[in-house]
Amino acid sequence: MELPYVVVIILFCLGIYTIIMNKNLIKIVVGVNIVESSLILLLILISFKLGGTAPILDRKYELVVDPIPQALALTAIVIGGSFIAVMLALVIKIYKRYGTLNVDEIRKLRG
Amino acid sequence: MESAVWIILLPLLTAFFLGIFKLYSDKLFYSLVIVSMVIYLYLLILVINDSYPPKVYSIGDWGLLGINLMVDSFSAMFLLIIAILFITVIIFSLNYIKVNKHKFIILTYVMIAGIAGMVLTADLFNLYVFLEVSSMSSYALTAIKKTDKSIESSFKYLIMSTFGSFFILLATILTYYLTGTLNMAEISLEFKSVPFMIKSTIMFFFIFGYGIKIGLVPLHAWMPDSYEASPIPYNVLSSGLVMKSAIYALIRLLYVIFGVEFLTESGILNIGVFWGVLTFIIAHTLAYQQSNLNRLLGYSSIAQIGYITIGLFLGNEKGLIGGSFHILNHGIMKGTLFLVLGIFYYSLKADEIEDIQGLGYKFPVLSFTFVVAALAIVGLPPFNGFVSKWLIIEAAIEAGFFYAAFFILVGTFLSLTYYLKVIIKLYTKTEKKTLIEKPDLSLKLPTFFLGSLCILFGIVPSLPLSLINNIPKFLLNNSEYIRILLGG
Repeated sequence: MELPYVVVIILFCLGIYTIIMNKNLIKIVVGVNIVESSLILLLILISFKLGGTAPILDRKYELVVDPIPQALALTAIVIGGSFIAVMLALVIKIYKRYGTLNVDEIRKLRG
Repeated sequence: MESAVWIILLPLLTAFFLGIFKLYSDKLFYSLVIVSMVIYLYLLILVINDSYPPKVYSIGDWGLLGINLMVDSFSAMFLLIIAILFITVIIFSLNYIKVNKHKFIILTYVMIAGIAGMVLTADLFNLYVFLEVSSMSSYALTAIKKTDKSIESSFKYLIMSTFGSFFILLATILTYYLTGTLNMAEISLEFKSVPFMIKSTIMFFFIFGYGIKIGLVPLHAWMPDSYEASPIPYNVLSSGLVMKSAIYALIRLLYVIFGVEFLTESGILNIGVFWGVLTFIIAHTLAYQQSNLNRLLGYSSIAQIGYITIGLFLGNEKGLIGGSFHILNHGIMKGTLFLVLGIFYYSLKADEIEDIQGLGYKFPVLSFTFVVAALAIVGLPPFNGFVSKWLIIEAAIEAGFFYAAFFILVGTFLSLTYYLKVIIKLYTKTEKKTLIEKPDLSLKLPTFFLGSLCILFGIVPSLPLSLINNIPKFLLNNSEYIRILLGG
């Protein structure tokens, strides 16, 4: 079993556990960030080839790593960044209204 | 002319220029809205007319190396739904929205661009990107009223929907790893040599991820809260387009990439039908206990999505036609109901079932439209809901799922109970209400237009069915789709 893929699996499961089990809003947002990072890591791992070099066009090199997943990873980073921005804006608004960041308190207040 | 590309580009460009014109003057803003709406309607009709046999457009002329757009009958039906619902909602919201009007219209344009991109693309990662574009504007539109309930329900929607997106992204990455390409036709060809267990795992990830966005029970928990707290024109678009575009993406992936033989072999069709039955039984039961009208209509939406799931997962031709027709019909019927509710809320701030008591006599024509749409959703003839439900029941009996057909009939009676409760309340006499605002013509015209479509599509179902009848040719036998995409 290759070590980098095990790291991806561990990060993914840790992130999902954090989203489901945690009571603090900021920690849920951090969990979303961890899952996002693990998926981007998986994308980079797919494109690797042993002995290959960066995918820049140059006549000297013959073996380059796969450039498509690197483009997908850039897109995924931008999408993940916008998720976190919207989530944090909502968390700030919730904190101003309710004064607490605990998920149980907020659900109780709404009724 | 590459008109398919302009269907995605025009709303994005309009949203960008609207953001600039907002700073200058109101007249410029509204004139741009009207001009772009007319051009967009013209483009949509042009592309829908040209959709059989399907056409392929490759962006930038990169051929198979780049992203391709493909317009076939399933995409054309969704473009028809966009044409009907989008124009109606923009006309309605020009007068209805009082707070944050400019932001609402700009975000709606971005959402429509995302949905149009999703139904036209033939590339796997492009589907994910446009899914995120439409979801992101949905999250913002849910929270636009900035009340306590809006912010909390928007956060809940955000977390659950992001959870689903992660599984979709994971399945996309694994698909690229196995096949080395992102074009849907090439993936479908390569998938024939992938082992069975791996394909089942990827299929499970796709269904779980899209199931959260579609709203199958028990992954539906964000939906009634989001319906209660968001502005009503957005509710029309959300129930009619956003959730249905997730169904489109799931069906496109399952039937084209995995193929009907794999679906039958793995037994996911049985699971899908059972899940649809479970969804609408639970949703009908929960809908009866609601006292807020928005939540009641939200649970009714979840139940109708259960019917659509049954129709589309049956795997035979009539099921696909019935399910797709129900997608079109449900958008129109639920749109009518929400728009009438919007007019009631605009004039009297009526939100709960008690508040609309006696309004049948104050707004006679509007209440008649409401009754027409409610009876259409329950499934009574001669309205359009009856035609699509009958097609689904016939298809279920043909495919051998007798329990599904029986439970659909039971579900019809269950939905009749709570809709009848609302209709009776509407026509009970009372003395107390006074109007706050009189509804304008621009609010009433879209409602009557959608209501008349309910009756029209019920009496003459051959009008939309001439478009929908071609759908199973490209879904059930994916070699046709692959041949056209690879040849183009």
